[in-house]
Amino acid sequence: MAGLLQNKPLLCDDIPWINALRQKGRMAFEAQGVPTAKTEYWQYTKPRDLNADDFVMQNSEDYEFLSVDEAHDCHCGKGEHECHCHHGEHECHCGNGEHECHCHASHEEGINLAERVLPFEAYYLYFANGMFIPMYPALPAGVEIKPLAEAIFDGEAKEYLGKLVDIEKHPFAALNTAYGEEGLFLRLQNGVKLDKPIVIWNHSEVEDENVFYNLRNLIVLEKGAKAEIFEYFDYKGKEKSRYFANCVNEVFLAAEASLHHYKLQDEAFKANHVALTVVRAKREAKYQNFCFQHGANIGRNEVVVQLAEEQAMADVSAAYKMAGWATLDFTTDIEHMAANTFSDQLVKGVIDGDARGVFQGKIKIHPDCVGSEGHQLHKAILLSDTAEADVKPELKIYADDVKCSHGAATGELDENQLFYMQSRGIDADEARRILVEAFLDDVLLKIENEDIRAYFKSKV
Amino acid sequence: MTKTPLLEIEDLHAKVGDKEIIKGFNLTIYEGEIHAVMGPNGAGKSTLSNVICGKPGYEVTAGSIRFKGKNLLALAPEERAREGIFLCMQYPVEIPGVPTATFLKHAVNAQRKHQNLPELDTMAFVKLMREEAKKLGIDNEMLKRPVNVGFSGGEKKRFETLQMSILKPQLAILDEADSGLDIDALKVVADGVNALGDGKRSLLVITHYQRLLNYIVPDFVHVFADGHIVKSGDKNLALELEEKGYAEFVKEK
Ligand SMILES: Nc1ncnc2c1ncn2[C@@H]1O[C@H](COP(=O)(O)OP(=O)(O)OP(=O)(O)O)[C@@H](O)[C@H]1O
Ligand SMILES: [Mg+2]
Repeated sequence: MAGLLQNKPLLCDDIPWINALRQKGRMAFEAQGVPTAKTEYWQYTKPRDLNADDFVMQNSEDYEFLSVDEAHDCHCGKGEHECHCHHGEHECHCGNGEHECHCHASHEEGINLAERVLPFEAYYLYFANGMFIPMYPALPAGVEIKPLAEAIFDGEAKEYLGKLVDIEKHPFAALNTAYGEEGLFLRLQNGVKLDKPIVIWNHSEVEDENVFYNLRNLIVLEKGAKAEIFEYFDYKGKEKSRYFANCVNEVFLAAEASLHHYKLQDEAFKANHVALTVVRAKREAKYQNFCFQHGANIGRNEVVVQLAEEQAMADVSAAYKMAGWATLDFTTDIEHMAANTFSDQLVKGVIDGDARGVFQGKIKIHPDCVGSEGHQLHKAILLSDTAEADVKPELKIYADDVKCSHGAATGELDENQLFYMQSRGIDADEARRILVEAFLDDVLLKIENEDIRAYFKSKV
Repeated sequence: MTKTPLLEIEDLHAKVGDKEIIKGFNLTIYEGEIHAVMGPNGAGKSTLSNVICGKPGYEVTAGSIRFKGKNLLALAPEERAREGIFLCMQYPVEIPGVPTATFLKHAVNAQRKHQNLPELDTMAFVKLMREEAKKLGIDNEMLKRPVNVGFSGGEKKRFETLQMSILKPQLAILDEADSGLDIDALKVVADGVNALGDGKRSLLVITHYQRLLNYIVPDFVHVFADGHIVKSGDKNLALELEEKGYAEFVKEK
């Protein structure tokens, strides 16, 4: 297998609009290639490992636990029915009219979903190595969740897919677009307020091959809708497997919609994880993001928020903590495109070993966006002499009468605090742990949901 | 009653960077004794207490410190604390983000673990903390705040005393426990310190003012100048110093 652009059969490739979009993605990626140190916004995080030619993309039939060769109950969410698929595409007779079903029918062997719950109540959706496992929670009225391929097939994705992402500037998003078949289409109708978070559990399990997969989620909140979405990435398997998860979220927030978007990346130390989330927030919409990165060889999270109409606001926070050789990168691009829009960013990192933390934070206030406010603060603690933090704030202010601030501080643990605790009998290591926890305390307080905050705290 | 030495400091020399600050310091403290150390600003009193407790940044170039016969200099700061040394700091450190109660619980349980006692659960710990806090007139509200953050000077000293009352050290070093205290607070702190005494606990009291020694009555008073003890006496020496100041000792060097 060669390179990241591989030929693989794609679902719905016979539908012209998606085929054209994938072609555009392919061309945009070919034009840019895997970023190098010269690529804008990639000078600190070097995706050298992603240039290898031993990544393997897999189709559903490659997975034993996803493939089926007998008649079986189908969990595609369209009611109970027998499915006679041999993987992938098949006719489904679920009573919702005749249609092709794009579920990957599931054998529940191989992956025990019952054990896969987080310590808080939620609606759970599962992916394994980038493939959707078609089991659906019972969702309240007005909430629609289906595999992306199905939304491509029925045309609902057309209005959203690729509409927010600038693939000419984001090579990995271009690559993601070239494949664009796995992921979720998630929509909340007008005024629907979800009572529990939605957890999207992305589990990776890799043996000898270096698996490469792309995920694309479309998240649509109609007017006044309110949701919490928790993306969870975990890993089980051989430590040496160097898989690559390339994820893109496109988030559409209509007027007065509110989304709390959480992400916990708790992956293998050889994992490569590149993610881009692009959000468009309309009048009075609220986007609150908290991301905790942990593990991974390269872990990059980029959050782009377009505050497109008045009173839209974004609160983008992150924490990262790592050791070893990891590079964890949090990159933001907050665009104030209307008057009276607000943004706040707080990012805190704890870096040990030979690891490197990267924060590139951008605030852009377009002309005439008076009365807007954009704030940004990055703080990192280096726990070793070889740890490194690279911070690049970028403020582009083209409007008058706005309030903007940015700050960055990188330091070590306070020796006096450490000694104070030791002088009370507390172990040096324990004291360090307490201080690190304290350092991350204020960023965790950004999480409004107490159960989720407690969960993140336990992970920190 | 035959007394055993608790702390033995012999010909101690220590420097910070290139600067020698402790220059041939000798002191032996027996169980149950109260020693007061008085001396001019910059004499090295805080340096001495930091060296005893193992604060990084100081280099011991000669001499020895033994505690209960053990070579103290070979132990990490937390091990010295668990052996029973407590430093009531001149400038207690603020630790934002760490609740006072959490900090104290870690300290108590670290010590209990060292003594092979079961760790206290939250309930038992809170009960203990509240009881001791009440004796020192410390508000529960204060214990909910982060360690020393936003505490007034007096509150910080009270909190140091609270830690000491809970940890019950065999040797408490009080580095200007009286600075910044109003008269009532001084009495509270002194009562807290005296309540420790069961005849076996020892004190090293560093102070500039004789006043504290009215409440915590020393067995010995030492004048500390230019890195070592220049004169020792009983409690009357403190009164003498109050009157005459340190001029005569500073000149002597
Ligand atoms: N980290 C340091 N670097 C350089 N000099 C230091 C350091 N710590 C202490 N000193 C110096 O060592 C000397 C002794 O300081 P120390 O704090 O021990 O004095 P002290 O007797 O406690 O004074 P005070 O009565 O004012 O508290 C002073 O001259 C001080 O400036
Ligand atoms: Mg001092």
